[in-house]
Amino acid sequence: MDRSKSLGVALASVLIGGGVLAVAGFALASSTPHQTALHCVESSTAAHTCNLQLSTFPDSLEGVHGKNGGPHPDWVTYSNDNIVVPANTTIDVTIDQYDTGGSLNNPFFDRVYGTIGGNYTVNGKTYSHWNANDVGHTFTLRGIPGNGKTLFVSVPLPYNHGSKFPVKIGVGVYPKPVVVQFSFKTGGKAVYEWNCEFPCGGSREGQGFGEAMSSFGYMSGTMTVE
Amino acid sequence: MATSEKKSLTGFFWAWGIITAVGVVLSIWLPQRYMPEAMSNDAHLTMTTMILFSICAAPVAAGVYAGALHILRNYRYRGEGVPPAAEQIREHTKLLVTWLTASAILTVFVLVWGLGALASENSNTSSNPLVVDVTGQQWIWSFSYPGSHVQSNELYLPENREVEFRVTSEDVTHGFWVVNMGVQVDANPGTITTIHTTPDKLGVFEVRCEQFCGLNHAFMDAVGYVVTPQKFTSWLAAQPQQS
Repeated sequence: MDRSKSLGVALASVLIGGGVLAVAGFALASSTPHQTALHCVESSTAAHTCNLQLSTFPDSLEGVHGKNGGPHPDWVTYSNDNIVVPANTTIDVTIDQYDTGGSLNNPFFDRVYGTIGGNYTVNGKTYSHWNANDVGHTFTLRGIPGNGKTLFVSVPLPYNHGSKFPVKIGVGVYPKPVVVQFSFKTGGKAVYEWNCEFPCGGSREGQGFGEAMSSFGYMSGTMTVE
Repeated sequence: MATSEKKSLTGFFWAWGIITAVGVVLSIWLPQRYMPEAMSNDAHLTMTTMILFSICAAPVAAGVYAGALHILRNYRYRGEGVPPAAEQIREHTKLLVTWLTASAILTVFVLVWGLGALASENSNTSSNPLVVDVTGQQWIWSFSYPGSHVQSNELYLPENREVEFRVTSEDVTHGFWVVNMGVQVDANPGTITTIHTTPDKLGVFEVRCEQFCGLNHAFMDAVGYVVTPQKFTSWLAAQPQQS
């Protein structure tokens, strides 16, 4: 093979190899299982305010994992993972907590951080922290490294001890939810990450951070401020 | 030595000198331009060590590049087929002694400097350091200040006071990496690892996790601030007390 021909073969190999890698990368990126965006609903009663409704379930039969709960119907889940809210707005969040719970790994998360007033309400009563041994999940929102944003909001969602009057949602039957409400303010446009900090995801070295806690679309997601 | 060979060696030494000079300039300029801002005594020492080692390495690297260029230019085989065997050089005492002596001096220098720097980083200079308990958890850092009942997801440090970080983890192994402080240590569950530094520049810095620890490892960072001692006291007093 002469020199120019072998150079051409080498160049073509590099280009084809690079192309294959690029296609594989784009395919993997586009297959990330982000759900349909949940948009904050503008409040009809207060200016520059919108309402965000989320739920936490003990399984994936409800939420947006598809018919019969998707590939892991027994995994705990938030109702949504992809949240979109407006910039420079007060976000009134309501979370219906249908799941049981236990003890936090780190009592740091038994306290309310970053909300307006530094507190939240549980079934209508105001608290600034919750018993670290009686928590079901947390909603913990923070900046993504490098974006220069320091928004940090974290609230513990109490253990749902059940109720005499369970509710039926879709194909699932759940106890009456513990209703958690809090508000926080958004700044400028940015993307934030949120996740649960309670060990609710099945065993990973015995710490409860496997399965649903180690998979996209269950106990974590993004919040886009636009 | 033949005149033509002397001439070609002159080219080698020119190339060696020029590449060394470029290497030295890059060794000084690149770290200061692209490394995170040094904000502690350890970070300054790390930066100095890196620059010094790069300068030491510059003539060595330049010798390799200049040698390669010299050989490619003067000894390339331009004939057809397989080249004949080259002349074997069995001994060249002057070259051997020079090479070994220079290598030994450089190696001993970087060894002594490196051990000294390591000893300096591991030693604590203050009898009254500020103690900060650092806890890693999937996927967040939290910091508490013993004696104050304050726990925070932001790391506040006073300027010019030695800090003793006591690092642990609630679950898996994390890596406590204060980029601008030159501090990096594993956070292991059930173990407290201690590391010291003295912040010496006011400003904002970043704390990262440098051990892959699960789904949201990439988001496991925290913001830190070096503030004046007065501001630090005010901040501490303004924090909610943990039970």
